[in-house]
Amino acid sequence: MSLGPETIFIVDLLAIFAIYVIVNLSLNLEFGYTGIPNFGKVLAVGAGAFVAAAIPGRIFANIAGIEGDYIENNLAIVSEINVWLVDNTGVGFVVFFVTLAIAAGVGGGIGLLTSFPAIRLRGDYLAISLLAFGESIKIIGNNFTPLVGGTLGVQVPDPLSFLPGEFRFLGATIGLILIAAVVYIFSEKMIRSPLGRMLRGVRDNEVAAESLGKDTTQIRIKIIMVSAGLAAIAGALYAFYVGGTIAVAYDRASWTFWPFLMILIGGLANNKGVLIGTLLFVTLRKFIIYFKDSFQEYVPFDVVWLDFLLLGVILLAVLLYRPQGIFIEKPTPTISINGNQSSLKKIFSFFFK
Amino acid sequence: MGIDPIFSDAIIFASLLALLSIGLTLTYLTTRVPNFAHASFATIGVYIALIASQIWGSTPYIAIPIAFVISGIVAVALYTFILKPLIRKGASQAIQMIATLAFDLIVIAVLNIIADYIVNTFQITSREFSLRSYDFEFMGLSFIVFAAPVTVAILAITLHIILRKTKFGIAMRAATENSDLAGTVGINVKLIFGMSWLIGGGIAGIAGALMSLWFQGDPNLGPQLIPSIFAASIVGGFFSIYGAIAGGILVGLTEVLGTRFLAGEFGVWLVAYRPLIPLIFIVVTLLLTPKGLAGINWSKLRRYVART
Repeated sequence: MSLGPETIFIVDLLAIFAIYVIVNLSLNLEFGYTGIPNFGKVLAVGAGAFVAAAIPGRIFANIAGIEGDYIENNLAIVSEINVWLVDNTGVGFVVFFVTLAIAAGVGGGIGLLTSFPAIRLRGDYLAISLLAFGESIKIIGNNFTPLVGGTLGVQVPDPLSFLPGEFRFLGATIGLILIAAVVYIFSEKMIRSPLGRMLRGVRDNEVAAESLGKDTTQIRIKIIMVSAGLAAIAGALYAFYVGGTIAVAYDRASWTFWPFLMILIGGLANNKGVLIGTLLFVTLRKFIIYFKDSFQEYVPFDVVWLDFLLLGVILLAVLLYRPQGIFIEKPTPTISINGNQSSLKKIFSFFFK
Repeated sequence: MGIDPIFSDAIIFASLLALLSIGLTLTYLTTRVPNFAHASFATIGVYIALIASQIWGSTPYIAIPIAFVISGIVAVALYTFILKPLIRKGASQAIQMIATLAFDLIVIAVLNIIADYIVNTFQITSREFSLRSYDFEFMGLSFIVFAAPVTVAILAITLHIILRKTKFGIAMRAATENSDLAGTVGINVKLIFGMSWLIGGGIAGIAGALMSLWFQGDPNLGPQLIPSIFAASIVGGFFSIYGAIAGGILVGLTEVLGTRFLAGEFGVWLVAYRPLIPLIFIVVTLLLTPKGLAGINWSKLRRYVART
C-alpha cells in the first residue's frame, strides 16, 4: 500500500504550510501587532533547529546505549537510533516533546538577547542590528562542528519511524497541523485578551500607552521572548520533519524574508491573513519547484532565479498597490466574559468570526 | 618587496568598506531608509568588471566608469519607482526597508541569471571567479593596492568640494537637513534626492569594480558584505560622509588584521568567525556612542584626556 504522487505533493505542501504558519504567527505577533521589525527572525528559527539537531540524537544514543562520536559517525548512529525507535515509540515521543520544550526555552533566551537592542533602539537602527544578529546563526552553525556538524550537517532522529514508508510523512503532517492549530488558537486568544489591545496601543502610540500606565519596555521584552520561543519550536519541527539540519539552510531569505512576504501578502495584524498569505506563498513555491524541470529547457539559466525574481516583484507590487494586504486589520472581537457558549462553539468562533 | 599579503588585503578591504559606506550614507541622508540592496549594487560592478576583462578582453579598470553609471541607474530606479511612491503613500520605515530587501532579492536574481548566461554562452567561470591575473604590477605589488585607497581619497575630496563649494552641493545639504524648507526656497528636492541616489549607487558600483581585482566575485556577495557595510556606517554615525570613511577604514582594518592577530594568538579556527566582528562593532558602537564617531565630541574628549 502506498500513497499516490498527488497525495504526497499535498501532504508535503501542508507540512511546510503548518511550519510556516507557526513562524508567521510569531512574526505577526511581533511586527504586525507590536511593531517590532524583527529582521533577524532566522536567529530564533535556526536556534530551534540546532536544538533539534544537537540534543535528541544524543539523548537517544545514551538511552539506547549506542557508542561512538555523535557528529563523526552521525549517519550510522542516527540510522541505528531510528531502528531502535521502531520498538520504543513512547520514549521517542517523550524526547520529542522535551526537545520542543528545550527549543522553546532556548528561543526565549535568544528572544531575551534580541530584546536588549529592541528596547533601546527604534526603527532603522533596530532593524539593522537584528538583521546583523540573524546572520550570525549561520556562521556559528557552519563553524562550530559539535552543534550541527558544520558544513556537512547532521541527521535528526525520527520519532515516527514506526510508520512504514510514506505514511511517516502523512503522520508527521497531521501532527504538524495539530501543533499549528494549537499555536493559532493560542495566538488568537492572546490577541483578543486585554494584552492584545495593549500591544496595538504600544505599536500605534507608545507615549499614549505609557501615559496610561502601561509598561511598554516590559511588554516588548515579553512579546519578543514569546514569539522567539514559537519560532524556535517551528525550527525544531522543521528539523524533525526534514530529518536533518544543515546550517546553510538557515539563511535570511528562507526564514526572515519569506515570512515577511507572507504576512504582508495576507495583511498585517491579522491572523486570518497569515493563514491565507502562507497558503498562497507555499502553494506558489511548491508549484514553481514542481514545474521547474519542464521550464528548464526553454531558458538558458537555472529556473530557481525566476522564482526569486517573481517573489520579489510580487512583494513590491503588494507594497505599492495593496499595502494593507488581502485582509485589512479589523478591530478584534474580545472574548465574552459570560461563559455560556459551548466549548466547541468557542473553538469554532476562533476561526470564523 | 616582501610585504605580507595580509596588509594588501586590509588596505583594499578597508578602502572598499569606506566607499560602500560613503554611498550608503549618501542615500540614507536623503530618504532616511537603510538600503539593504546597497551591497548588491557593488556586485553589479563586479560583474561589469568580469564582462570587461573576460569578454571584451580589456583591462578591468575600464569597468569603473561603466559600473558607476549602471549601478547609479539601478539605485535611482529603486528610489524613483519604489521608495518615492511608498513615501508618498505614507508607508512606515519598516515597510520601506522590506521594499529594499525585496529589491535586493530581484537584483541578486538578475545577477545570478546573468552569471548563468555567461557560463552557458561564453564558457567562462562566473561564480567564485578572480580577476587578479588581469591586474598589473606596480612597485612589486598589484596596482589595486594603490588604486583602491587613491580612489577613496579622490572621491572624498571631490565630494567635499561638491558639498561645500558648489550650488548643487549646498542645495543637497539643505534638502537633506530640512526638505520642506528647502522646497519652499525653490530647490527641486526630488531631483536632488535622485542625484544623491545616483552618486551613492554609482560609488558602490566603483567599489564593486575595484573589488573584483582582489577578492572573489560571486552573485551572492551582497548578503555577505551587508553586515560589514552597516557596521562601518553605524560606526561612522550614518549622518556624516567623513564618519563613513573613518568607519569603513576602522571596521575594514579590524576585520582583516584583527582576525589575523587573534588567529595567531588563539588558533586558526578563529578565522572562520571573522563575520562576527562587524556585529561586535555594531553592539559596542550602539552601547558607547549611538551616534557613531561623528557624534563624539572630540574637543571635549581631548580636554578630558588632557586633564586625566
